[in-house]
Amino acid sequence: MTKKLPNFMFTNQFGLFCIVIIFVIIFSSITDGFTSRFNIYALSRVVAIDIMIGLAMMVVILTGGLNLALGAIGVCAAMFGGWCMETMGIPVIPSIFLILGMGSFLGYINGVITVKTGVHSFIVTLATMSIYFGLMTMLTEAEAFRRLPASFTDFGSIKLFNKYVSPLLIISVTACLTLFYLFKFTDIGRKLIAAGANPDAAELSGISVNTMFIYCHMLSGFLGAVAAIMLTTRIGAAIPSMAGQLGMDWLLPAFLAPVIGGTLLSGGKLSVFGTMLGAILVTLITNGLYLIDVGEFWIRFFLGIILLIAVILDKTREHFTLKSVIVS
Amino acid sequence: MKLLFSLIVSCTISISTTAFAGSSGTKVALVPGGPHPYFAAWEKAGKDAVKDFGLGKADYKVPAEWDLSQQNELIESLVGKGYNAVLVFPGDAVGTNKILGELDDAGIPTAALAGCVEQPTKAKMCFGTDTGHSAYLGTKQLIKAMGGKGKIAHFTGFLVDPNTTLRINAVEKAVAEAGGGVEIIQVIADIDAYEPADEKINAFMAAQGGEVDGIVTTAWVPAVVASQALTNMGDKRIKMVGIDHDEVVLKAIKEGYVHGTMLQNPYGQGYIGSYVMDKIRGGCVFKANAPWKSTAQTDQFIDSGTVFVDITDVDTYVDAMRGISLDILKTFDGTYLDC
Amino acid sequence: MTITLQTLLKKDWFGLLIVVILSGILITLFKPAFLSSFNLYVLMVSTSYMLIIALAQMIIISIGQMNLSVGAIGGLVAISFSGVMEVYHLSVPLAIFIGLAIGVICGFLNGFITVKSGISAFIITLATLYIFKGINLGITEAEPFYEIPSAVKNFGNAKIGGTPIPYLIIIPIIITVLMWVLMNRTETGRHMLAYGNSVQSAELLGISSSKVVITAHVISGTLAAVAGMLVVCRLQLGTPNIGDSWLLPSFAAPVIGGAILAGGKVDVIATSLGVLIVAIISQALVIFKIDPFFVQIFLGLMILLAVFINRYREYKQEASRKVFTHD
Repeated sequence: MTKKLPNFMFTNQFGLFCIVIIFVIIFSSITDGFTSRFNIYALSRVVAIDIMIGLAMMVVILTGGLNLALGAIGVCAAMFGGWCMETMGIPVIPSIFLILGMGSFLGYINGVITVKTGVHSFIVTLATMSIYFGLMTMLTEAEAFRRLPASFTDFGSIKLFNKYVSPLLIISVTACLTLFYLFKFTDIGRKLIAAGANPDAAELSGISVNTMFIYCHMLSGFLGAVAAIMLTTRIGAAIPSMAGQLGMDWLLPAFLAPVIGGTLLSGGKLSVFGTMLGAILVTLITNGLYLIDVGEFWIRFFLGIILLIAVILDKTREHFTLKSVIVS
Repeated sequence: MKLLFSLIVSCTISISTTAFAGSSGTKVALVPGGPHPYFAAWEKAGKDAVKDFGLGKADYKVPAEWDLSQQNELIESLVGKGYNAVLVFPGDAVGTNKILGELDDAGIPTAALAGCVEQPTKAKMCFGTDTGHSAYLGTKQLIKAMGGKGKIAHFTGFLVDPNTTLRINAVEKAVAEAGGGVEIIQVIADIDAYEPADEKINAFMAAQGGEVDGIVTTAWVPAVVASQALTNMGDKRIKMVGIDHDEVVLKAIKEGYVHGTMLQNPYGQGYIGSYVMDKIRGGCVFKANAPWKSTAQTDQFIDSGTVFVDITDVDTYVDAMRGISLDILKTFDGTYLDC
Repeated sequence: MTITLQTLLKKDWFGLLIVVILSGILITLFKPAFLSSFNLYVLMVSTSYMLIIALAQMIIISIGQMNLSVGAIGGLVAISFSGVMEVYHLSVPLAIFIGLAIGVICGFLNGFITVKSGISAFIITLATLYIFKGINLGITEAEPFYEIPSAVKNFGNAKIGGTPIPYLIIIPIIITVLMWVLMNRTETGRHMLAYGNSVQSAELLGISSSKVVITAHVISGTLAAVAGMLVVCRLQLGTPNIGDSWLLPSFAAPVIGGAILAGGKVDVIATSLGVLIVAIISQALVIFKIDPFFVQIFLGLMILLAVFINRYREYKQEASRKVFTHD
């Protein structure tokens, strides 16, 4: 984000922000219940998790790669957390650190294999997706952990700001601010971006590209684990099917948010706030479509059409946006 | 065919009940786990319940995908829209409880339909099929058809679905009770998609088709594919007991390639479920001493009727189901409710 | 042209062929039923449509892109193909024509939008995956079409004469040959590979990117359509779920066959052998009664193993040349 207002008006985020506002106006005027307290609270919770999933994918897209195993990592981390808290009786706070460690570790494995083989991370994570998920179902025999400590699960039901907002959203916004700071103002953040933008040049200027890529995959696993914790508190249990078969249900929100938000798939450019707005937009549209009564069987169709229009609009607007902004 | 079942049942039930005048203001949402042909009868069931019992609305609302989060989002948006009672096929036996609790806090009664949520739960009841028990009864029928001895294969659905574990255990239990004569030689799971199911089931037939004497299937897709495989092979030696009412399965029963199937009662679930929701919204509560049944998941279970159908009654099972639905409806108030 | 052992060894597919033969022998030693006529038939049936699915993905990989919507196109065609026969009572050839036309249109849309928007095919096909699957669900409301003409059903379940060869595999074999000719003997194929290797240099050579990309996507869509209709023949019903499970295997076979995902290098024979290996392995898992919980992990391990082997070979072959690839 740049400092001067006129510049800000031409950023990707401002365009997205306007689209979000337009959709809010449309949905609140033509549907019943869009602005109801129940709906806004529910939206805040869905958005929070989708933002986190989007951020987790974004940091791998930064390297020009993809992380198909994101959902599988999330489920593995959540199930590991369930095992820690329920079976081993480890208190909540240490368990959370263990979950985050597990997510980072699985991301680390992705990173190491990708770097060592030089194969596109799409293929590597396609393979680790079924391996992680398969190991998880094997070890847990697909049994859910449902007697989690109440202090943990109740967190997902807390209502803030006159019962309109879930605390999960605050975590996600905090994560956005932290990542923005990391990539914009820290040395390591700049190195990560340099490695993603032009690996050869980064290598020549003394940055260990491989290490940076492994960091990105670890960060992705870490953020995936955060999303998994949030989802677990929301569901109230750690269950193997929480992200669908092979964890693939996370993939759509994972890709939509960063891509709509202006993160380049070729790597080297990311938009933290764009990802946030992207996640908000997608959640809004899904919710709005359900409320408008387009017929549930057609929801996927409209979601696809809107995604298509969004990315194409985004592309055509690119001529007017500030290409120099690498992190926003 | 898909409509036939629901049409016949609905006509007969509708005639036998007097139409209520006016609207009660109850708006029921019937939410399945995702797009699936099993639930198709709920749509008609809801409409008939509106007509017969004077509900405000009873609409069939399908999540765009089989995904717990999608289902939660749909339910939340429905409540936002003004639905004030929710009948749900739980996207997850444990995971769905959280949202049911939140709906309860918001004064919206809910019940699990067709499949149960695990206790503790805020769902008023589980009205449906005891999946474990159904698998157990089906296996019993199979063992009987096999003459009490032989080798069984079990084909079932996604391993991440907790029902799958229940079903595997139930089949094992039925086999154990049969004494030493019956043995499970293979369990093939994770075949809820048609292509892998076709590949794996046929590979099994090729490798073990000569040894196996009986097949029990406890999920929709494997039942369809296995029925088809036996029909294509022209094999009437291997006995098979399937699940649900897919046309392929019913046809294979008529032609003698499949011994029978364990039917559920989707129309009755939707119809009676909507009725009960209206009663509860109208102030009725479940009796303290209601004669609940217990399952592995819950002890607030009401059986919506599971019947075994074979070649002798495959053409008349619709009547059997209608009878069961009527019986449940007739005695429901007196048996379960305090109004 | 003389074929020596050395030239063979350099081929991508030669190692795979050895894997296929060895695994066949190994399985037969333990379970002689593996070579039974029925088992070979089952093997060929599952290979048949997977072959086309893999080729549908391979052609897009050859131009350095991905097509996530292969399964969604296959599913849409499958329900349209069976739907027009059940609801409008159209003749089989007409239904096939409609199915193919839908495949062509879907593929064209993928290619056209990718080219005109300049957005990566990954994102475009992610969107169209939702659109095609959405139309599928909107039309069927998740209910299958059952009234498939018996000619279609028989085609999917008949064997040629007394052999274990299913009719179903004839079309995939013809298509595989055609694809081999396309990739190895035609200008279009060379242009695709050149484009996959480097978009810039392909354009410098005067290759039209829009023509290459759209052609590849149209072929991919058409192949997905063929696969969708073959599955209908096989299953004898048009269910909306067809195609849902294609994503992982569609990538697995070309990757095991050694296609580099950056594009520019694909091998039709190696991809076909990749399909065969996946089919043999999944059958072996059933034959040897492997714990169902373990089966899930297997495909992942296979892909990873293939990745390592390819990496090792590259390392051996190009040890002298410094290769710098980062993804």
